Amino acid sequence: MYRIRFHGRGGQGMKTASRILGTALFRGGFQVQDAPRYGAERRGAPMFAFVRAAREPILERGIITNPDLVLVADDSLVGIPAAGVMAGLRTDTVLAIASDTDADTWRHRLHINNPVVILPGIDTDDDDTHIPDTSAQCAGAAAALIGKVSRVVLTEAVTEETSGFGALALEANLETALAAFDAIGLQTGSVVEGAAYDVASSVRPDWVDLSAEASAVAAPNIYAALTSVQVRTGLWRTLRPLLERDKCKRCHWVCGSYCPDGVIAVDDAGYPEIDYEHCKGCMICVAQCPAHALVAVAEEEYRTAKGDGA
Amino acid sequence: MNDTTFNRARDLPTAHLLGAGTAMCAGCGGLGAVREVYDVLGEDTVFVNAAGCMTMLSVYPFTPFRGSWLYTAMASAPAGAQGVRDALDIRLAKGEISKDEDLQVVVLTGDGSAYGMGLSATSAAIDRGLDFIYLCYDNEGYGNTGQQTSAGSPHGARTATDPASSAVAGYKKDLFSIWAANKPTYVATVVASEPLDLARKIEEARALEGPRMIIALAPCPTGWGFEPSQSAEIGRLAVKTGIWPLKKWQNGKLVHTRVPHPRLPVEDYLKTQRRFAHLFEPRRDEVQLAEIQASVDDYWREIEEAKSSSRGD
Repeated sequence: MYRIRFHGRGGQGMKTASRILGTALFRGGFQVQDAPRYGAERRGAPMFAFVRAAREPILERGIITNPDLVLVADDSLVGIPAAGVMAGLRTDTVLAIASDTDADTWRHRLHINNPVVILPGIDTDDDDTHIPDTSAQCAGAAAALIGKVSRVVLTEAVTEETSGFGALALEANLETALAAFDAIGLQTGSVVEGAAYDVASSVRPDWVDLSAEASAVAAPNIYAALTSVQVRTGLWRTLRPLLERDKCKRCHWVCGSYCPDGVIAVDDAGYPEIDYEHCKGCMICVAQCPAHALVAVAEEEYRTAKGDGA
Repeated sequence: MNDTTFNRARDLPTAHLLGAGTAMCAGCGGLGAVREVYDVLGEDTVFVNAAGCMTMLSVYPFTPFRGSWLYTAMASAPAGAQGVRDALDIRLAKGEISKDEDLQVVVLTGDGSAYGMGLSATSAAIDRGLDFIYLCYDNEGYGNTGQQTSAGSPHGARTATDPASSAVAGYKKDLFSIWAANKPTYVATVVASEPLDLARKIEEARALEGPRMIIALAPCPTGWGFEPSQSAEIGRLAVKTGIWPLKKWQNGKLVHTRVPHPRLPVEDYLKTQRRFAHLFEPRRDEVQLAEIQASVDDYWREIEEAKSSSRGD
């Protein structure tokens, strides 16, 4: 049985990727499960989707804890433990990451010797606030890495799953999926099919064990107000709004009034104060500031610059 | 509007009552409206929430509110509000709480509930003259479950249940007029991207008693298909193109609080969202675009004609 997990952020198309791959494998003669895993619809929040495919009936249920192939649409997720990208990787699990960083660096960073495949990052040149939809790319790459699906079948699956988005979107998806499929080249078919699940040798999955939280979190006072601030939604952010203080006209209201999450307050001098623990990175403030005093900076770039002492 | 505390944008609140850390999507136009409404209503507010996106606001053990929140099934938020109002009135009558400790009861509901399965309970609450504020965040579909078509979905939009090939064949229900015909105390439309207009209307509603009905257009990055950063701009375009008229109704009188001059072509709004992309790609659907424009033009022509005839020209 093949077990594939797609990791991404809400809006990056991982649910669609799992559907395309699932449909392709189904059309290729497999029995298939595909399902996304997330809470309510939340753009920008970490989520994953998974696909199981086998020649025989699939009796496994639930999330995949022992993947043969893991695809990551957003490399910033690798470092977030809650995203669970590395959960259950075997030494031969193929890890495919959309990233500008090369495979050796990832192996070194993660202390692994697994096969790592780099999917070229999607160019977002004209709009730095854009979350690219990588569904077709990830599905095409996954299909090739598994190596059990032809170009023709992949084309049929992309058409079936994305024609509802309109003719132009379908055309672009087909082009992207097939290009990603072809780009896998020598690594086509490199995913090692995992063994069937064996009840006798099953071990309790580690996610059953809950680590001890601080008592304020584990046994919160439900009568308390504003407990939501304990949820650090700043982790969702891939872009950071930064104030260029000299450009701020101290208008007193624009950025703060348009911020849906209310995480921009105005200080006594009239400058905005952004609560980065909770800012989700929607960039409405950047789009609305008439003086262009707020700019969008990629979180990764910001952290790298900070790490260099800049 | 002479007695408003919101004369200009600088009068808008600069510190906010709603806590951060909610699970709403980045760029949520509904959350923006709720946050702005809460800032004007103040801490002494109890929210009664019909199932919908805002279910995620207050998930045990976390709450962004300073007071209580009651969660109900999709169709029954006005009934929940009745219970809360009655309990407050009984405690007031018994002298257990003072007038200063009274709370404003606010229903929070999405369009799936407000335009559809919750409409009967809402109509009954208006009939009973229930003293509450009803706030519908209208993202024109069942957003929390993946944007299936609701009775608030606009004509021509693609949704999860109406693919681009057919799109929504029906028309967005005129909930504002249905409510006004039911004669509550106050009815208004708002949008988070017009914070001053919103603040003035909520300020007016706050000062009144009885059923006060508010619909907030809620631009939805996830369901409508646009970048979160464009959320406020799209809300503003909805007003400038006239597809989302800002208005209020009180004592039988309808007033438009922003009349767009000049009114931009409605496609300036439509083309910003992927749910309408099939109207422009691979080729322009002139028939559909003209039909949507005509429906907006008809709306404003009727408003103009009604104004002229009431002036007796």
